[in-house]
Amino acid sequence: MAIGKRLLVNKPAEESFYASPMYDFLYPFRPVGNQWLPEYIIFVCAVILRCTIGLGPYSGKGSPPLYGDFEAQRHWMEITQHLPLSKWYWYDLQYWGLDYPPLTAFHSYLLGLIGSFFNPSWFALEKSRGFESPDNGLKTYMRSTVIISDILFYFPAVIYFTKWLGRYRNQSPIGQSIAASAILFQPSLMLIDHGHFQYNSVMLGLTAYAINNLLDEYYAMAAVCFVLSICFKQMALYYAPIFFAYLLSRSLLFPKFNIARLTVIAFATLATFAIIFAPLYFLGGGLKNIHQCIHRIFPFARGIFEDKVANFWCVTNVFVKYKERFTIQQLQLYSLIATVIGFLPAMIMTLLHPKKHLLPYVLIACSMSFFLFSFQVHEKTILIPLLPITLLYSSTDWNVLSLVSWINNVALFTLWPLLKKDGLHLQYAVSFLLSNWLIGNFSFITPRFLPKSLTPGPSISSINSDYRRRSLLPYNVVWKSFIIGTYIAMGFYHFLDQFVAPPSKYPDLWVLLNCAVGFICFSIFWLWSYYKIFTSGSKSMKDL
Amino acid sequence: MKGDRSRQNMAVTKKAKLKKNDEPKKVLKTAATEKGEGSKRYSLWNFWISTLFLKLLLIPDYFSTDFDVHRNWLAITNKLPISEWYYEHTSQWTLDYPPFFAYFEWFLSQFVPKSVRDDGCLDIVEIGKFGLPTIVFQRLTVIFSEILLFVILQIYINTTKLSERSQSFVVASSIVLSPGFLIIDHIHFQYNGFLFAILIGSIVAAKNKRYILCAVLYTTAICFKHIFLYLAPCYFVFLLRAYVLNVNNFKFKSYKDFLFLIRWANLLKLATVVVGIFTICFLPFAHQMPQVLSRLFPFSRGLTHAYWAPNFWALYSFMDKILTTVMLKLPYVHTFATKFIKPPLIPQNIKEINERLAANNNGSKGLVQDVFFVILPQIPPKLTFILTIFYQVLAVLPLLFDPSFKRFVGSLTLCGLASFLFGWHVHEKAIMLVIIPFTFLVGFDRRLLVPFMLVASAGYVSLYPLLYKGQDFFIKTLYTYVWCIIYFAAFRKTTKISSSVERRIFFLDRLALTYIFSLLPIVTVLQILDEVKWRYSFLQKFEFLGLMIYSVYCSLGIISSWFALSWLYNFDELLWQ
Repeated sequence: MAIGKRLLVNKPAEESFYASPMYDFLYPFRPVGNQWLPEYIIFVCAVILRCTIGLGPYSGKGSPPLYGDFEAQRHWMEITQHLPLSKWYWYDLQYWGLDYPPLTAFHSYLLGLIGSFFNPSWFALEKSRGFESPDNGLKTYMRSTVIISDILFYFPAVIYFTKWLGRYRNQSPIGQSIAASAILFQPSLMLIDHGHFQYNSVMLGLTAYAINNLLDEYYAMAAVCFVLSICFKQMALYYAPIFFAYLLSRSLLFPKFNIARLTVIAFATLATFAIIFAPLYFLGGGLKNIHQCIHRIFPFARGIFEDKVANFWCVTNVFVKYKERFTIQQLQLYSLIATVIGFLPAMIMTLLHPKKHLLPYVLIACSMSFFLFSFQVHEKTILIPLLPITLLYSSTDWNVLSLVSWINNVALFTLWPLLKKDGLHLQYAVSFLLSNWLIGNFSFITPRFLPKSLTPGPSISSINSDYRRRSLLPYNVVWKSFIIGTYIAMGFYHFLDQFVAPPSKYPDLWVLLNCAVGFICFSIFWLWSYYKIFTSGSKSMKDL
Repeated sequence: MKGDRSRQNMAVTKKAKLKKNDEPKKVLKTAATEKGEGSKRYSLWNFWISTLFLKLLLIPDYFSTDFDVHRNWLAITNKLPISEWYYEHTSQWTLDYPPFFAYFEWFLSQFVPKSVRDDGCLDIVEIGKFGLPTIVFQRLTVIFSEILLFVILQIYINTTKLSERSQSFVVASSIVLSPGFLIIDHIHFQYNGFLFAILIGSIVAAKNKRYILCAVLYTTAICFKHIFLYLAPCYFVFLLRAYVLNVNNFKFKSYKDFLFLIRWANLLKLATVVVGIFTICFLPFAHQMPQVLSRLFPFSRGLTHAYWAPNFWALYSFMDKILTTVMLKLPYVHTFATKFIKPPLIPQNIKEINERLAANNNGSKGLVQDVFFVILPQIPPKLTFILTIFYQVLAVLPLLFDPSFKRFVGSLTLCGLASFLFGWHVHEKAIMLVIIPFTFLVGFDRRLLVPFMLVASAGYVSLYPLLYKGQDFFIKTLYTYVWCIIYFAAFRKTTKISSSVERRIFFLDRLALTYIFSLLPIVTVLQILDEVKWRYSFLQKFEFLGLMIYSVYCSLGIISSWFALSWLYNFDELLWQ
């Protein structure tokens, strides 16, 4: 009885990934004295995995004259090294002109400073364009900066989040570690940052820090972290309505009117913005420079969407040719209206019910609205709604975990055209298989031809030999059928993409098929997040 | 409408209740099962899957010239008749492994798909020209051939008695996850996982007292890669004593009783399988044996490999450089030394030292085929053989009196150490020949753990210069570091507490730990120095200083481990009972 009770107490918290390979690997560290070790091991394994993904090609490799995102980042390090601050946002805008907020520019400046110490020719003004060193020295350095940025910003924030939740729920430390590893091994962010080449982990890590501060009720610090996130990449604005509503609600309504808190939050926000933009003003030539910066950050002169992306405008463009029917200004207005309508319920709900356990869901609903309906969305932007989605791997609800796992696979699927262009086929396949295998999604596969001693199953954990973990699929038959259908559709797409040439009249047909599948899945998931918002109001963090 | 909703709610509630009722049953089932120790499977399956993903991601990584070596061997065995395999020399990467490995390459070449063939994989050319298809194919052959390692170690686990299974699982998993195999096989490029699997098979057979199988597998291993010959004295004495000689029942009455000392049937069986395997291996090359042997044993190479393996001769070379520098700067030291050591053992004067330096130009170089010593005496191959054999005899003698598995593995480890420390032209990769047997030994006593930790950490770090590119720094360093953390803790947990009355020497244990923990900052500093050496002219003068530091520091660790293990092996009686 005592044993049973103890198991009952512990089991629900660890039920999430029970009998998965992840659980099996971390099982030996359950004893209390080993608490620090699994986190350390997960940390190191996540870094090693990112390093190996980084061995592949990067965006724009060997593709003159403009190359790709790798060259863009390198170029920004180049111009911030050699030009005065007053020229950063003006210099040769046709060649990867700087179009990110100042914190990214400062980040590039710092990295360029360190890199020039190792080899100045990597960042020589103009002469280093398209630099591809034969010994891969530049690539190695650049890859290292992404990894270190990831380690400093994203890893600690994620680990803190899972620890906070674990303590709140009296979850076993091993359960916390398993959740942290599921989040850190999410493939999309790894492939875009360490394969394609970007620094999204800094922006996402800062946002995660902001969420952690909201959980700890350090509202001013949350505001600071979120502003830093926006100042690193303007895409973090996808979360802004929720942060605004939550902080406002906590200051004015819940638990009571608190003008001091509101004042402090407002001051922290304005002060952080001021500190970030001050160098542009005082060292860069005043308001003119700030105006140019903002103009570069928000390029409204471009079209409603760029390339193919799994959002509303791109998919419906098959039926309605927006460019032919409407002006750019009209499209901007329509997308703004659609986006606001999309996130308004979540914002209102946050204002009226600023609950901590609803934070991931309202952030999902809001950022997914921006992704689906906003102006000038890129396929990589899916990483922004994916942050709160992936944090839900810390949930203990089987249905939630199932949908999180599924939508992560869908997101990775929608990134395939981009990764294919980069030449990251191997990394795409391996990270998809690895991330799903670790959380037990392939446990239903049992090679029968192997001797019993070699058959898959737990190595170390004391689990019944006959126990076969179910794949992460919802209990509901309709959901299950739909998800399996989407997996079949994705498999069919990859078959077409590999073996069948698209019709010459419609060369982008397969890519559009990819976008359509993604859009359907994202839309349904978005609606599901609203369902969770409106049905979880009375629950608590324990029920995340 | 309201009625419908309430009905749905009731249905949902019922389902929820049913689910709740189901859960306790599952929990109870698992609770009941968890009590049984036998429910642990100790399967290496998950380890294989996870490392498979890692190895696939390493496919586009750097590889060494060994990659073209094996590509060339694929081409030779595929395109040419057997009679020409050991004569072909269009490429400098001539076939110099025993015939079984040549057969293996031939076997692999049968699977080369058309796209890889068109890529130039099977072309016999002076310098290999190939692209991604060849790289993917060859990387996959390493990954799949390594499956043999997992299978044999799984058999090792399954044939261990239940009370020791967790320990054997730690041993097996530490080998399959070894940083050595990751670095040498899946990045640098070799087939050690596959080859060591055969050797490990013979060790497992010895443990299970299946001596014929042990002999078969060891002989096969030699025919695949002749480096395993270094362990031959140990196998010979072990099989002789455990399988051929009948010492227990021997009683002397007359001289003809010596005939019964030997189990003739066993001797005949053993000789048959050993000779049989050698025959299968070399018979097709019967008319080319001189050529084959000259390929297998090229004695024209220098004392140390291009990169100093961290062995005794590395320290010897280092000492020579130190003495050279000291004597050049402080002439009276030379004057003082000549009072005790007369020329020609030592150079006559400073002028002669400078002449020797100028003649061999080895003041700053480390990359030469022939090492020439300025102050200390030259080392002929004969001396290295004498030293190696001497220490191997010391390691093998106790086996004559106690042919237990424990003694066998201890002897194996010391034979490997002797050949590594004193052998001629030792490669740094040969350290695996020490670490693998030691892994089977370390579980027997807690005091073996510190020597093992020393040789494992120093040995793996000494492999780092093989991957000199910066892109691998995080991978090799973090992987090795986390492996050491996990498995040193795991071995500590699963090894037996010492049964000896002698107390542990805590000071040396702490010194060893200090040494091990110092490896990480040393590696990091050396990597940074390597990255910035282009901009400091004085660093360029000492371009092989980093390699020297690796070599000397790691050799200190390995030699210390050898001292400790030798002491325990020769003087600690209780440990081996």
